[in-house]
Amino acid sequence: MSGVSPTGDAPSDATSPPTSAVTPRRGAVLNALDDVTDPELDRSIVELDYITDIDLDDVPCDGGATVHLSLPTAWCSPAFAWLMMTDARAAVESLPGIRRARVVLEDHVHESELTDGINNDRPFDEAFDDADGDLDAVRQELDEKARIVRQHRALDALLDAGATPGQLVSLTTDDVRFDPDGPKSERAIVSVADGAVRLCVPRDSVVDYVEKAESVGVDLDSGPLFRTPEGDPIPVDDFDLVRRRGRLASVNMRGQGGVCAQLHESRKLHESRKRQRSREAESAD
Amino acid sequence: MYRQRGEDVFVVDAHVHHWDASEENTKNDGGEQFIRCFYDYHTGFTPDDREWTLEEYRKYSADRMVEDLFGNGAVDMAIFQPTHLHEFYKEGFNTVDDNAELVDQYPERFIVNGRFDPRDGEAGKEELERQKEEYDVDGVKLYTAEWKGDSKGWRLDDEETFEFLEKCSDLGVENIHAHKGPTIRPLNRDAFDVADVDDAATSFPELNFIVEHVGLPRLDDFCWIGAQEPNVYGGLAVAAPMVQNRPRKFGEIMGELLYWLGEDRILFGSDYALWNPDWLVELVMEAELTPAQRDEYGVELTTEVMKKVMGENAAGLYDIDIEEKKKALQSDAISEQFGLGDDYAADATAD
Repeated sequence: MSGVSPTGDAPSDATSPPTSAVTPRRGAVLNALDDVTDPELDRSIVELDYITDIDLDDVPCDGGATVHLSLPTAWCSPAFAWLMMTDARAAVESLPGIRRARVVLEDHVHESELTDGINNDRPFDEAFDDADGDLDAVRQELDEKARIVRQHRALDALLDAGATPGQLVSLTTDDVRFDPDGPKSERAIVSVADGAVRLCVPRDSVVDYVEKAESVGVDLDSGPLFRTPEGDPIPVDDFDLVRRRGRLASVNMRGQGGVCAQLHESRKLHESRKRQRSREAESAD
Repeated sequence: MYRQRGEDVFVVDAHVHHWDASEENTKNDGGEQFIRCFYDYHTGFTPDDREWTLEEYRKYSADRMVEDLFGNGAVDMAIFQPTHLHEFYKEGFNTVDDNAELVDQYPERFIVNGRFDPRDGEAGKEELERQKEEYDVDGVKLYTAEWKGDSKGWRLDDEETFEFLEKCSDLGVENIHAHKGPTIRPLNRDAFDVADVDDAATSFPELNFIVEHVGLPRLDDFCWIGAQEPNVYGGLAVAAPMVQNRPRKFGEIMGELLYWLGEDRILFGSDYALWNPDWLVELVMEAELTPAQRDEYGVELTTEVMKKVMGENAAGLYDIDIEEKKKALQSDAISEQFGLGDDYAADATAD
């Protein structure tokens, strides 16, 4: 799991996952949520500080959990919120000992439609009767962008390690060796030049890419590891253009991440000022 | 006028508003949430000591606007981008007719753009004709995410929109400013999409398409389209104020825009009163790329580049002869009021 330090209860122990006999600890829930990303920013919703509270039922064996979250603005895309809430609920319900998870969105103009819809298993277009466009297509589009950004990171790591464009465009999964369950600090070994040269890169740069490529349906078993944004093999003459398009997608994602983070910060500031004003008003009474 | 290293930089703020979101004018929750959303953007990207209160922000006087832009800010001319939003505000948020009053008062300083909504049909086309006739508009601001009845938005490549673009072409309304990026209620995926600009720009090569907010959060799609369509431009509103507290990100965005679109197709805009040129112009002008960014992009924010971004590019689109304009500005009401006449005197530009 990532470097998020679980707050509250004792941290979960990765070697002995909670069983159904015990109420999973808050840390385990947080760890599960850490794998859920904001699809537009491709970053963990825990890292982005969207989780405001986690309630666990006291009853052992019949675990219920309620996750409260708040997004950077009251106007954040309901479609994106829907995807995050769906994923959050599934992640928490995948934990042993949790039978039912609820996800509650706070401080959003559509908090009730979203919270009701997600927890009552309603489809998106029923929860929002004016929704058009296909939610799966939204997810696919964002995931494809995330793949391009992750590929950009992997390519840069490999270029830094000394790989050439010619070597990179013909790499396949067989050339990459890593322990999929190994710790994050580990390196991945990438063989180039018909195995004559081995390059060492941060494991995550490759693992994260492979994971996203597989999830968007890039067939890595038959074809090269790295692709154009359209999913095709990269002609070596186009390598530079593909790298620049990856850089552009990364700048966009980081830029939008900056906008969201700033809005989030200013919202929290407004709320704390509001609380302070109401405290002052109370004490003045 | 801004001055950098002994050179005059003529500033055209290509994106300003004079809005009314006062409680009296606000029709419903949508309108209230809209102005609060704007206010979050304002406070998020404004230096602490320059923040307005929400009350100031809801409605500001023409006098204040003029002072902010021309008195305290280094703006020489400004272009109104109307945003009607009649579903949210009783008399509209920022209408063509209201903006035109300020143009009347300060004809050398303000340019007003028109607007259309393809869902208005024939009446909308007549209204566009009226705007051309009465105000001689050279451009329109389009807000594709605007609500109307049951509809929560429209696209530039809709058949009805093409009829309006045809009309623009006939009337000589050449500059099509499309709001892309932050939307008020992006329920569907199209609200974020910039692909419709591609079709419209290809079909109407005689028109210029200025994508406001450089398409953020779809800067990548926007630049990719811009690289292929020579009549696509980027408006810097929203990206510009990042210079204040996210300077590295601002540098990256400028690097990408200069790489994909080039220095001739980027337009400065403050989006006043979202952000105020009285601090923004200087920060943008003094911004620098990091050495790593300079290496990566092979560009620099030189005075020459920034002169284009801050004014010359907009002047080109709106047929402004900057040297002639300076002469006209020497003695206009604004120069009198703020004592700017000498800035525009011919010898001020001589090196």
